[in-house]
Amino acid sequence: MPDVVRRLRATGELGRIRLSWEGEAYHPLVDHYAIYASVDGADEALIAKTVYATFVHGGLGGRARTVRYRVVTVDAAGRRSRPSDFVKGTSVESVAVSGRPIATVGTFDHKSLELALAPNGYAQFPTRFPNDVDFTYGVDAPGTDWAYLHPGPADTWAGRKAHRFTLHFGLDALPAADPWLAIWLIDSHATNPGTVTIGLNGTPVRDVALERGATRGSLEGDATLPGTVLKPSYVELALPRTALVAGENSVTIDKPAGSWHAYDAVGILIR
Amino acid sequence: MIPLERRSFLALTGVSTAAVVLGTGHPAAAGYDGKVPPAPFTLGVASGSPLPDGVVLWTRLAPEPLAADGHGGMPRRPYTVRYEVADDTAFRRIVARGHALASPELAHTVHVEVRGLRPNREYFYRFRAGGEISPVGRTRTAPAPRDNPTELRFATASCQAWYHGHFTAYEHMAAEDLDVLFFLGDYIYEYAINANNLWRLGVPMPAPEHNTETVTLEQYRLRYALFKTDPHLQAIHAHVPWLVTTDDHEVQNNYADEWSETGITPADFLRRRAVAYRAFYEHLPLRAVSLPDGPSMALYQRLGWGRLAEFTMLDNRQYRDTYPAGAVIDNSPERHNPERTILGSRQERWLYEGIARTRATWNLLSTGVVMAQIDRDTGPGELYSNDMWDGFPANRDRLFAALRRSSATPVVLSGDIHRHVAAELKTDWRDPGSATLGVELVGGSIGSDGDGAETDSFGPLWLSNPHVKLYNARRGYLTGRLTPTELTSEFKTVPYVTRPGAPIATAARFVTEAGRPALNREV
Repeated sequence: MPDVVRRLRATGELGRIRLSWEGEAYHPLVDHYAIYASVDGADEALIAKTVYATFVHGGLGGRARTVRYRVVTVDAAGRRSRPSDFVKGTSVESVAVSGRPIATVGTFDHKSLELALAPNGYAQFPTRFPNDVDFTYGVDAPGTDWAYLHPGPADTWAGRKAHRFTLHFGLDALPAADPWLAIWLIDSHATNPGTVTIGLNGTPVRDVALERGATRGSLEGDATLPGTVLKPSYVELALPRTALVAGENSVTIDKPAGSWHAYDAVGILIR
Repeated sequence: MIPLERRSFLALTGVSTAAVVLGTGHPAAAGYDGKVPPAPFTLGVASGSPLPDGVVLWTRLAPEPLAADGHGGMPRRPYTVRYEVADDTAFRRIVARGHALASPELAHTVHVEVRGLRPNREYFYRFRAGGEISPVGRTRTAPAPRDNPTELRFATASCQAWYHGHFTAYEHMAAEDLDVLFFLGDYIYEYAINANNLWRLGVPMPAPEHNTETVTLEQYRLRYALFKTDPHLQAIHAHVPWLVTTDDHEVQNNYADEWSETGITPADFLRRRAVAYRAFYEHLPLRAVSLPDGPSMALYQRLGWGRLAEFTMLDNRQYRDTYPAGAVIDNSPERHNPERTILGSRQERWLYEGIARTRATWNLLSTGVVMAQIDRDTGPGELYSNDMWDGFPANRDRLFAALRRSSATPVVLSGDIHRHVAAELKTDWRDPGSATLGVELVGGSIGSDGDGAETDSFGPLWLSNPHVKLYNARRGYLTGRLTPTELTSEFKTVPYVTRPGAPIATAARFVTEAGRPALNREV
């Protein structure tokens, strides 16, 4: 019989839980590990098969979810180990769920469908957004004024240059604490997701390397469909309160490297 | 070749000594008869790696070849498979028979290594499991090492994306008079199969388990089974012995040793490579020495065709260095690092020793990716694909130095690019008038990229390299007729593959003289 996996661990992150374990891979050869999960006390179900000794249980959304896991080893002859011990993990709650929105573009729902050109009209980007995206909250509409796809310098169809998406929003008064920027993506490029540079009122905030996606978000817009290959990811970070002003503020998202990423929603929120 | 110790073989298979004789034809494989599910030979038969006295015979028991668990609808127990080799198609003159074991560890595949045959002969073979009898396959042995055969007829094939088109090229190839087929990589593709890439008209959408990138052994097994359901692929396997190597898609696009372009950690990627190599071994007519040990597979090999030709099958994925400066296409200074290798130091040593020893007239070197230098900048600059031999110029220089010291005329056979290309291998790429060391014949894809066209947007780029003498973007295959004095190579094309039934045409014919390598175009 194949060995039972050891040291099964679960680490919660935003929208997902990372699993890792140890186990003999080659003698006998492991066909795959079958991963069983019980989400928030629901019945246990097979959620994935993988040959890797790691697994990212994604698509958990912005709420904190508690999941109980165990793993069965299946070898090349089809023999199954007994299940591993249980391990429990809890995903991290998003500020998009728990926070009070100041300004949002789109809905945090793992879909790009409510954004401009979605789900597959990227080729129109150069003509529809010749000066990139410049969006004013409360004035502009996501369905026409915020493109679902943010191209990068690696994209020939968008002129092989850096593109900037700008979100303008108003503040009656400075908040008491740093507000948060939440950027949810339904997908990104699989091999060249690139980086984004976040700025606030002209002040650089941070460079963020995006996670590798599945290179399907340019063509599909719903990461909640069963069997979807889209790989959502999340960028959430605090914006320095000291860079804010009462009145109009602007967050910029620049793409100085890499290929496109596909938006789910963007928001400025108070925790 | 890397010897596979018996101990590791035992440990690897995790089965009894009796089961270890699978693929050897040893009588100890008898005794597992039992009732075999009806019609188990759905994936055909195959032969490969011909020697003067033997050949590898392959089949798989899979009554339900697309069963989602990758086990082909077989019960999880071993079965005895009997084989017969005969001089005639009616099997009146049996020259060898025996047993092999089909075990669930290897998806009930068998790899019989028949020995004791006569050199340079045509044979026929078949299998029996329970009361079920397989289709008949044709194969042949190589001439004896000191023989001087008057000719060798071969074909090359590569890049058979089942979902992109029908294997009409194989249908025509199976009507050719061939001694061997060199398969040059991309037997399967790892990509999800769905409405976006199913261009093969007239077939139902494969089940949802095919709509995912292959990662597990059951997924790789399913992928081989799906591709091997094609009747023309089965026919060409049954028609001629194959010599095989891999390129990248047997594991993942552009992989290099333990490196994955999608950021999979090396430890995890090696686990994936192990199951990918296992499924490759299971489904091709390879010798037991190639049975992978974990993520390692002894694939490169050298065979001969008398004194006419030596066959060198290279493995250009398992040991290669990664991109020199992180990009697929560039002209970085790191590209010229003399330490860079596409073959790995051990395979390089083995290769150069073999080149130095050969007394054959021709040396046919099979490699998955293009070897000729191809400058991709049509202007004054230079750009090269680091996924091809261009990413390893120092390795290519070492190989060319070894070839220059040999009297054999080198003929490089490659694939990967889904285009027919013929190129002269120059001693100085910058000087079109420099000596030609050998020729490279790049065979177009069997199915990958769909219908294609006579040329495409890449044509001017390739043809701007003066040593490139042909560029054709149709699907098809290459045939070669090798004699002691010349090689006649023909690039065959079909005008479409998304529909079945396309006619075959010869897009180009070249003659290359032994000892005076060049591409002399006749058609």
